[in-house]
Amino acid sequence: MKRTVALAGLLTLTTAPLALAQDAAAFRDAFLAGETGWPAVEARARDEGEVNFYYWGGSDLLNVWVDSMAVPALATKGVTLNPIRITSTKDVVDVILAEKAAGKRLGDGSVDVLWVNGENFATLKVQDGLFGSFAQLLPTSANIEWNAEDPRSLLNLRDFGVETGGAEMPWSGEQYVCAYNGDTVEEDALPATFDQLKAYLTENPGRFTYVKPPHYLGNTFVQQAVYAFNPDGTGAEPFQQNRDDIAPEELARLIAPGLEYLKSLEPLLLNGSDSGARYPEDPAAIDGMFLNGEVDFNCKFGIYAVSTGLSTGTYPEAAREFIFPEKGMIKNKNYLAIPANAPNPAAALVLVDWMTTVDAQATKLEATGFPAGIDGWTLELSDRAALESASPGLIALTEEDLEANAVPDTNATLVDVIEAVWLDYIERDSTEGIEALVQRAYETLGQ
Amino acid sequence: MPPTTSPDARARLWRAAQLAPVLSVLVLLFGGALVLALAQSLGFAPWFGVNTFPDPSYFGSLWGSADFWVSLGLTLAYALAATGLALILGTALALALVRAFRGQRLYKYIYKLPLMIPYTVGIALAVLMLGNGGMVSRLAAFVGLIDSPGEFPRILNTHYGWGIIAVYVWKQTPFVALSVYAVLLGIGRDTSEAAAILGANRRQIFWRVTLPQILPGIVSAALICFAFNVGAFEAPFILGGGYPDTLPVVAWRYFNDADYTLQIQGMAVVVSIALVAGLILFAWLALYRWQERRMGRR
Repeated sequence: MKRTVALAGLLTLTTAPLALAQDAAAFRDAFLAGETGWPAVEARARDEGEVNFYYWGGSDLLNVWVDSMAVPALATKGVTLNPIRITSTKDVVDVILAEKAAGKRLGDGSVDVLWVNGENFATLKVQDGLFGSFAQLLPTSANIEWNAEDPRSLLNLRDFGVETGGAEMPWSGEQYVCAYNGDTVEEDALPATFDQLKAYLTENPGRFTYVKPPHYLGNTFVQQAVYAFNPDGTGAEPFQQNRDDIAPEELARLIAPGLEYLKSLEPLLLNGSDSGARYPEDPAAIDGMFLNGEVDFNCKFGIYAVSTGLSTGTYPEAAREFIFPEKGMIKNKNYLAIPANAPNPAAALVLVDWMTTVDAQATKLEATGFPAGIDGWTLELSDRAALESASPGLIALTEEDLEANAVPDTNATLVDVIEAVWLDYIERDSTEGIEALVQRAYETLGQ
Repeated sequence: MPPTTSPDARARLWRAAQLAPVLSVLVLLFGGALVLALAQSLGFAPWFGVNTFPDPSYFGSLWGSADFWVSLGLTLAYALAATGLALILGTALALALVRAFRGQRLYKYIYKLPLMIPYTVGIALAVLMLGNGGMVSRLAAFVGLIDSPGEFPRILNTHYGWGIIAVYVWKQTPFVALSVYAVLLGIGRDTSEAAAILGANRRQIFWRVTLPQILPGIVSAALICFAFNVGAFEAPFILGGGYPDTLPVVAWRYFNDADYTLQIQGMAVVVSIALVAGLILFAWLALYRWQERRMGRR
């Protein structure tokens, strides 16, 4: 008798995960149809027991926050959070798509939640690698502006011009901003436009560089230059279209002045007069150059970077932020997505839901200086105050300055083209015209 | 009655058991990867929705571009310079170590230190010491040779590749010394002493007696160092001068691109590296064998 009970127990133990995997698809369909109550999701998450969170692990402050805040919070919900720190989000997109190609369905992949935006999200969307439209079904989705008639909802509905379709949840927001060291640069010498930057570099050759495309930071700088030199004077507007809606000749005409400018800037960049301009590979490299005094300006996504740098002691005490380029500072959000083959879909939903709570967002902002992804105006007054008091604060700028100079990202399908043209025209010094290069990029990317 | 096996068959079985682990790893993992790489570089990648096998166009466009040859030149230049320097320094070190001197025991431990430290740590050391925000540039600024560390002459991240070569030489000099030293211990001092008694001077002893004897050690050490240097990725990626990159970095850039079809182009680069390295190593070995036969050794 005892033995049969033990055997039955063993059987349920071994068959339980199998059953979970089999009904994962049914769970997904019911949840996305709005038929599953949140308590049922939480109960299933407890059965699944764990969640694999893949994210860029290059920030120690964020890693500490995940370990000290997110892991305990999920533990109280009966879910073990496994943080998997990665160096390149693209690698994880590869894993998700390779597993999908190998026939791994919902319930048997390895990635539950991925921190993602831009081209990587676009790739997952095109390759049908996402769980589905879950974002507005989470209890905390009330903290996000979804009303398409409110222009402020744009960053929640579109990621680099690609419709999010609820397949990813905003987690953090950012804006491209530049910092300088007040001890080495006079405030009135600061450039506010790309032409002024060139004039500054003619006076001070080699005192600036930007992160190399295809890194998204480099792509962003190039996009800002392209906006600023848009021959129609319409800035970011034409670059919101999908590649299919804009002819290559037209795109070439729009981006040519910006790329010509960047080409003429090249000899003035760091090491540019010597053996060729030196473009750093990533934000860590440009941080190092700025902190070593090799360059005067540090441009990257990080509106609280100076404030955080001052409080951790890595930035010089006279470090300040400034507006560059005027009316052209790209603003975007980054998101949490659930892949189509997430092994623990319910636990993934529970994690994303917790990440969108005011508590999680405020503590993350305070600990890491990564701006909140939720929208303050949707919150109750007390929550809004909590979020505001958690902010590390801007140095020498105001929220109004940032908002007044904000512009949207370029559509992800066009980013690929501009990136390819930069690599050919500027890095490889191609003698072909920009139009021919755009044409070729359309052909290769269209395959 | 127990089944009998002849001692001969048992020996064969034992030999097969001894060879099997290494052989299976080589054939399955290494050989399999090589075949797969070759197939992919010829257009076989159904998992990205590409299957035009056999399609030489990836090699055609690669070898047809001037970029490839510049990158190949850089790759070979760094690899040759580093291997050459490490051979000279390592051989000199080994020759010094067989003579008795004060502190020899301690020194014999110290010189092997880089062998125990991974390449990545060596690269980090180079960044910390030689970079424009590194110790050397900061010291120079501190004592007033330059105004700020940023003005220090660039050693890393230029196309001269001093940083890359420095790391390779730092790591490979002790390796060459170790293998030459082992050969030197094996041959003893009898022949060089005999040559000295017969009136040879030190230079003659080195070129006519010692060098031919340690040549096998030098050749194998050079082969291993060169093959590594041609295929290494981290040092040129972190310490290199950016575009044009060495071939392994070019391959990585293709693999890392958001456009999947470029991975096939990347495979063509990888296969090209294997081809070039294989050809050079084969030529080097053939030359050495020819030299050995000429000297009457087999």
